[in-house]
Amino acid sequence: MNKIIKTKSEAETRAAAVKLAKTLKGGDIVALIGDLGAGKTVWVKGMAEGIGIQERVLSPTFVLLRCHEIKRSGIRNKELGIKQLCHVDAYRLKDALALESIGINDYLGAPDTITVIEWADRVEKLLAGKKVLKIEFGFGKKEKERIIKISNV
Amino acid sequence: MRILGIETSCDETSVVLLEASGGLKAPKFRVLKNLVSSQIPIHRKTGGVVPEVAAREHVGIIVPMIINVMGKLKPDLIAVTAGPGLITSLRVGVDAARILSVVKKIPLVGVNHLEGHIYANWLTTKKQELRIKNQDFFPALCLIVSGGHTELVLMKDHGKYRRIGATRDDAAGEAFDKSAKLMGLPYPGGPEIARLAAGGNPRAYEFPRPMLNSDNFDFSFSGLKTAVRVFIENHEANKSQFQDVAASIQAAIIEVLIKKTIWAAKEYKVKSVLLAGGVSANKILRQYLGEAIAVELPKTSYHIPPMEYTTDNAAMIAVAGYFHAARKKFSNPLTLEARAQWEL
Repeated sequence: MNKIIKTKSEAETRAAAVKLAKTLKGGDIVALIGDLGAGKTVWVKGMAEGIGIQERVLSPTFVLLRCHEIKRSGIRNKELGIKQLCHVDAYRLKDALALESIGINDYLGAPDTITVIEWADRVEKLLAGKKVLKIEFGFGKKEKERIIKISNV
Repeated sequence: MRILGIETSCDETSVVLLEASGGLKAPKFRVLKNLVSSQIPIHRKTGGVVPEVAAREHVGIIVPMIINVMGKLKPDLIAVTAGPGLITSLRVGVDAARILSVVKKIPLVGVNHLEGHIYANWLTTKKQELRIKNQDFFPALCLIVSGGHTELVLMKDHGKYRRIGATRDDAAGEAFDKSAKLMGLPYPGGPEIARLAAGGNPRAYEFPRPMLNSDNFDFSFSGLKTAVRVFIENHEANKSQFQDVAASIQAAIIEVLIKKTIWAAKEYKVKSVLLAGGVSANKILRQYLGEAIAVELPKTSYHIPPMEYTTDNAAMIAVAGYFHAARKKFSNPLTLEARAQWEL
């Protein structure tokens, strides 16, 4: 997948994430890249909604990693074997060492887990050689406009 | 009894020796020795806590700190933060406490960090006496605000908590920190924004107050980052406005916190409101919440922790541990685990 989408509001960004999440399968890794306020949190909330997670998606900035279990999996999740969304935030990190020490490799690419990593550009080494869906957030001309570049790496 | 308290949930290593007496009915606490080793100077360089560095720092200093605080004395109880927090940091404190508990045969209590923050309200200083009287205290509403948490917790009795509202994304302290980062201010951002805000006009700019009028007690602070970023970009040249910007950001965060707290206090007909967590050091929040309660709920008592116990500290963990021990709730040192996502 290689495409660029333009969203005009937070709601549109979220809707795009919901739509994309519905195409994901277990083991997929989604890397989010973009500045503070670019829309990464909104995107993860949308992804969680698309996958069928009902609990709140808290910022993992302080704890680095939060896993959200899918409590009531729909037919699709069952077929694809998706059991949880692992939400990682590398905002405070310079490299992948800290994530490795808390066991990120148990989740990354695990067949029952979708992993989404905010500030993925800060932990590039962790993702080297892995199949990753990269999503880059840029700002449009207008205040609420976002240019979102989606590519397979 | 004498309690050894240990707290390593994030970037402060803190060890305390606390004298506690009075049981559940008339609890009294006196801090005998309190050591805090802050890593803020280290983390300032990187603009935030670096977990690996934090854990290494904890490992290096925890044993000498415990020895220093304990001296030759054998405490009657060990209380340690077991979560929530940074797992690599938590483990250092928890494992030290477990080993000490087994080897010296001292009872152990694993304390929830948020519960610790609530119990900071029972600590006293020369400036601030204990105003909590057990009769007419419960049910209490606790507003817990820190870098990692923003929660409204209904406390029906010691150890009985119910979360009635919480942030859906970023914590209030995180909103302070990340806004500060966008403004180019040093870490930790909360105190920097508060300092600048003191000289600014809180009504100068209108920043969003998400969920202010929503039909629940939840919060959302993530959108504030976007608003601050846009503002900074559009006003790049004019750094003299920074005081007004800081004051306006602070006002946006605090207004939502206060409004929801008052509303929840009315809804649940609480007898007291407690402020807790690192952001409870914010003087404007302390003052304005107190004023709002005095006006809207004159019969409700209002409690704030002493300034020096607002940030992470082991004294509050020891106090919480005392209330557990008073109810005979102990942890097994062989099985106590650090839990990064432990909800109150």
